[in-house]
Amino acid sequence: MSQVRQYELVYILSPDATDQEVADLHTQIEAIITRYQGELVKTENWGRRKLAFRIGKHREGTYVLEVFKGTGELTKELDRRLKVIDSVIRHLCVRVDEDLRLAERTRARRDAETQRRIARGLPVGGRSRRSDDDGGDDEPTDRAEV
Amino acid sequence: MAEERRSRGGAGSKTRGSARGAEKGGPRRGMFRRRKVCKFCTDKVDYIDYKDAKMLLPFVPERAKILPRRISGVCAMHQRKLQTAIMRARQLALLPYSTD
Repeated sequence: MSQVRQYELVYILSPDATDQEVADLHTQIEAIITRYQGELVKTENWGRRKLAFRIGKHREGTYVLEVFKGTGELTKELDRRLKVIDSVIRHLCVRVDEDLRLAERTRARRDAETQRRIARGLPVGGRSRRSDDDGGDDEPTDRAEV
Repeated sequence: MAEERRSRGGAGSKTRGSARGAEKGGPRRGMFRRRKVCKFCTDKVDYIDYKDAKMLLPFVPERAKILPRRISGVCAMHQRKLQTAIMRARQLALLPYSTD
């Protein structure tokens, strides 16, 4: 009933999590996604990064990004699970489909515009920013000495 | 010559005054400021990604506060998107909330 949308999930693991633990968590999340009839689009491990500020007692963390398609229930479940796991120090799940669609649409429109301009032999690169409004620049000051 | 000048001043004083005003309002004269344009519009950025901290960094100078639009020259639409991107990046500790 609920719609399938695309989400991005980023979570930060504590720096003392081993590679094994990172992989384990990833498989766990994958399992949850498949259980809720979702689809994992891609994963990215950014590796260990310095945090911009301290979270708890940590100064750095391992970032993992998961892009997936699924329903709202799935994100709710992921959220709940990630909150429970102690080695996850921060996570963020963001819906991206709408923004990406919008970006795609504007890009397509711009491409069409460039194509049109090329076909007509007009200069490419959007509207011309040069305006001739700085005319009339002769000096008004020399009137005093007449 | 003097006579001519006087007559000119008498007859066309109104028009002359207005013309001078227009000249004064021109873009020259001391404090010439370049018009700022939106960085995202010129670079044709459609989606401001919160994961790209390096791209967001110039918009959170020193105190890590979001740079106002009147200074950066970013257009309203992109400033809105930039704002959400920065706030998301902060949640993920990619950008600081504050520095001192």
